[in-house]
Amino acid sequence: MAKLSAVLALVAFLAPATAVFEDEAFHIDFHYALLGRPKQEATFFQKPYAASKASLLYTVSENGTIGAVNPRDGALVWRSAPGASGRAHLRAGEEQDTVISAVEDRIAAWSASDGRLVWHSRLDNAIAEDLEILEQEDGISTTDAKDAIVLVGHGTNGVKRIDGKSGHVKWTFEDTSGDTPFQVSSSPTTIYYISLHAPLLGGGSKLRVTSLSPITGKKLDSYTLGSEGDVQTKDDILFAGANTAAPVLAWTDKAHKVLKVNIIGTKGVSSFNAPSSEPVDSIVLHAPKKVNSLPHFLVEYRTATGHSAEVYHVDLKKNAVSQAYALPPLQGKGTFATSTSDANVYFTRITSDEVTVVSSVSHSVLGQWLVKGSPALAGAYPVHGVSEVVVKGNSASAVRSAALFSNGQWALIRNNEIAWARPEFLAGTVSAVWVQLPEEESLAHQLEEEHHQDVVSAYIHRVQRHLRDLQHLPAWLQNLPNRILGSVAGKSDESTMEEIQHDTFGFHKLVIAATNKGRLSALDVGSKGRIVWSIDLHQFAPDATFINPSLKAFRGFVEVKDSSLPRSLFVNSTSGRQLSSEEAHGQWVPSQDHETLITYKLSEGTLEGFLGTGSAQPVWNFTPPLGERAISYFARPAKDPVASIGKVLGDRRVLYKYLNPNLVLVAAVAEAGHRASVYLLDSASGQLLHTASHYGVDISRPIPSTLSENWFTYSFTLDSSSSNSSRGYQLVVSELYESPLPDDRGPLGASANSSTVQPRGEAAKPHVISQSFQIPEEISHMTVTQTRQGITSRELIVTLPSSNSIVGIPRGVIDPRRPVGRDATAQEQSEGLVKYAPMIIFDPKWHLNHKYELIGIKDVITSESGLESTSLVFAYGMDIFGTRVAPSFAFDVLGKGFNKVQMLLTVAALFVGVLFVAPLVRRKQINTLWTVPQ
Amino acid sequence: MSAQTSSYPQWVIDLKEPPTTKPKITLADPPGYTASLTRKDRAASSKQSMRKQPTPEEMDTLKMKKAWEVAIAPAKQLPMSAIGMYMTGNTLQIFSIFMVFTLFKTPILAALNIQKTFASFEAPGTANRLIAVKIVYLLTNALSLGLGIWKVNAMGLLPTTRSDWLAWEAERTWSERAVPQEWL
Repeated sequence: MAKLSAVLALVAFLAPATAVFEDEAFHIDFHYALLGRPKQEATFFQKPYAASKASLLYTVSENGTIGAVNPRDGALVWRSAPGASGRAHLRAGEEQDTVISAVEDRIAAWSASDGRLVWHSRLDNAIAEDLEILEQEDGISTTDAKDAIVLVGHGTNGVKRIDGKSGHVKWTFEDTSGDTPFQVSSSPTTIYYISLHAPLLGGGSKLRVTSLSPITGKKLDSYTLGSEGDVQTKDDILFAGANTAAPVLAWTDKAHKVLKVNIIGTKGVSSFNAPSSEPVDSIVLHAPKKVNSLPHFLVEYRTATGHSAEVYHVDLKKNAVSQAYALPPLQGKGTFATSTSDANVYFTRITSDEVTVVSSVSHSVLGQWLVKGSPALAGAYPVHGVSEVVVKGNSASAVRSAALFSNGQWALIRNNEIAWARPEFLAGTVSAVWVQLPEEESLAHQLEEEHHQDVVSAYIHRVQRHLRDLQHLPAWLQNLPNRILGSVAGKSDESTMEEIQHDTFGFHKLVIAATNKGRLSALDVGSKGRIVWSIDLHQFAPDATFINPSLKAFRGFVEVKDSSLPRSLFVNSTSGRQLSSEEAHGQWVPSQDHETLITYKLSEGTLEGFLGTGSAQPVWNFTPPLGERAISYFARPAKDPVASIGKVLGDRRVLYKYLNPNLVLVAAVAEAGHRASVYLLDSASGQLLHTASHYGVDISRPIPSTLSENWFTYSFTLDSSSSNSSRGYQLVVSELYESPLPDDRGPLGASANSSTVQPRGEAAKPHVISQSFQIPEEISHMTVTQTRQGITSRELIVTLPSSNSIVGIPRGVIDPRRPVGRDATAQEQSEGLVKYAPMIIFDPKWHLNHKYELIGIKDVITSESGLESTSLVFAYGMDIFGTRVAPSFAFDVLGKGFNKVQMLLTVAALFVGVLFVAPLVRRKQINTLWTVPQ
Repeated sequence: MSAQTSSYPQWVIDLKEPPTTKPKITLADPPGYTASLTRKDRAASSKQSMRKQPTPEEMDTLKMKKAWEVAIAPAKQLPMSAIGMYMTGNTLQIFSIFMVFTLFKTPILAALNIQKTFASFEAPGTANRLIAVKIVYLLTNALSLGLGIWKVNAMGLLPTTRSDWLAWEAERTWSERAVPQEWL
């Protein structure tokens, strides 16, 4: 036994740096590099530079991320870090090699082909409301970097012209009238600034249009439009601007019955009646965005069941708007996209099963494609999209449209096929859990049942169970050839629910993720994060607006909680169907009946413990000292198997681990002295077991922490302003033992039962050994790998936001028993201990994400797999990343390098050899028997 | 040659029908040849060379001497195997394992076969004295066994420390279980 652990320790010592192997990278892991749901007004196809043959798809997402996607395969070309909010705008000028973005107060120009930052500037005390590119000056296109017009609001209102080369402000027009800025629009000769003018006496707002000189920024003219009856807020305006020859301003009345259109620069307002056959839910106006395109636009009417559209032409000479033709209403939801080719304008109608292209000039259909469905888009309809059309003669030969679908998938429809779909809804993942499949759980349940019976009935029970299992035998035998072939030839990535349930190695575990928009989806981590099912939680709770749903996994189902939900929802984990609360029984309770259940929660900086679940009177509470406030607490995971209750030393003595399931670590900070403290409590009694304080800590930064087995670790940022001897980030690791002496079980001795509420004699406090390390980067989140039995050494998985990566630190590196100031003795070496070094450099081999860039990771969850050596890791937040780690190497499974074909060929060759040699040997043996010795 | 094909050669005939009478040849025996003695000669010679048979006491002393030699033999092996054990080191290798195995096997087999080993020394006069010899034999074998045990211990294979019994020690059960409320 001791030898075995010594050998294991030796293995751990020899290989402290586990790495992602080259043949495993991109096979065992997956990464969704997400942007978030793209915004309609800032999504467009654009050539990254003037001479480019292919265009890229640019977008700003709802979380303020700017990105470019290759339209051919949906791969991300580049993206920026997420912005502070979704108030983001993105524009690109014609034949420019930059795109210009405005996110909150930050204006930036990005190199269109690779996303390098060209320049950026900040607005003082203001937020960019709108952004336009000045395409032409005095009717002449410039070939230089085109300037941008920024509308500034939320503070000092006004319009700024920003130099396209450097980002410097050329001129500023300040609006002191107190109007609410709405949008800017530019025509070849004038810049129009549109604002909402609220009259003093209340009521609706007037639209005020101010025209500015593009060269000086001086006010040329100003007029108001009588829109008091219809427009209250900015949301009531349908459309304003577009860089067309004739920018229009459109709004509607409350009932969506009358559409009012004004050509910016004129005072006339044309009114059109919306189709009256069905009540219109919303009206969307689509206009081309190019200066030299025809002044045509399309108005889309969305009703509860279908949609229709009308195309309008603007007569520049008469300054009049007239309806050209109407597109027939269609049942089902759809959307329109505009595209231009030279001056011609084309409208693409995208529905879930059809793409139609019409010209803005006449209503004849130029091209129509029936779209082949894709499982990713099943049941979803397009919400908005952009498209590119290739027109030859009088028919459209090809069309591609990037559309956001109602299920959050951003898909590209190329003619009649779905070229790719990006699950952009996952960018808003706020909670994820590992699913416990009902099947495996039921086996565990049966075994438990057998455990409690006497021998004979348990035996009968087991025989019956095995007989019942025989019904699966024919199917299993039928599948056998396929499985053998599959394992020899290499498996395909596709997996079915069946496979997930009959997964030998347990790699195909499902994760259920909930997004902030109330979408729930199940991902198969074993087959590259394939989305098994995805549902909208609103179908179960139509009134709820989900803010931050949290998930909890139970046997075969998950529970969804949200502050907007009156009571929890229960969803079947394999099918995504809702379960009633009666079906969803078997909630988690402590395993043994004789255990007293105590619950605790953090409220107003105090940790309070309650007897049972229902009581309101706390039985204990823990308040940090005066001036400190508890910010977070970390409990030992509910499932935290421990293989050995002691640590075997080099001289084969034992240090007994302090294994208390009720440990809770409370992190508290105090302004005075920039102090951060951690308190280790026994949460059954509220007793303080250990405390540590650190001074000179930047208390505004998070203090991530984790607790597992008999050790805990936390990390903090040192304050840069205080007079510390060191700066940077620290990682503290502590181990708890029952006694400082080897072979000693502390005050409790050998007693099998322990209680901290009613302690026998002296309450046992753990012996704590701590070491702190300097680390090169801030850690935002940490967790520990989980394996089935807990035999495999654990690995600390930390998220590094500044280098966009996830690192697995081997446990041996952060062992607090590392000898300080001297080399390890032979006995310590046999334990795997090496000399203490104050700095931990994150070895590049520890990075689990290798080439991937993981942005916005909020949380990492780990789970056991079917193999003891391997732990599954799933990271979520903005990006989704999944992999599996083997901290002590994959000692129980053949590696990818193992050549099964070669092995089979060797066996076959040996068999053939035996067939040939056997008669020879037999003859020789017989001859030996019969030959007379000479 | 052809004349002899019909009849047997002379030596075959001689062989099949040995001469009944000794040929009267008075030649001296070749040097180094001892003529087989006739019964008479044998009787005469035995009478001449008859040594005095040892007495049973003498026989017993002899047997005891021999028995002691057998009993001490394992002890004589001991230094040699001790050096061998020392040289093989304390690592788990196939050679050291084989050596340790033989170290264990030999004394145990010897103890099992003790009656057979000393059967030839068994006599009415030695029966009592042999007990001491057997005990010494067992002791010397035990010495060799002890060497084996020392070696196994040095290799860390004997469960003598706390860590060897760690797997049988159970984690404490706790009378209380506390969980955060958000888990419920």
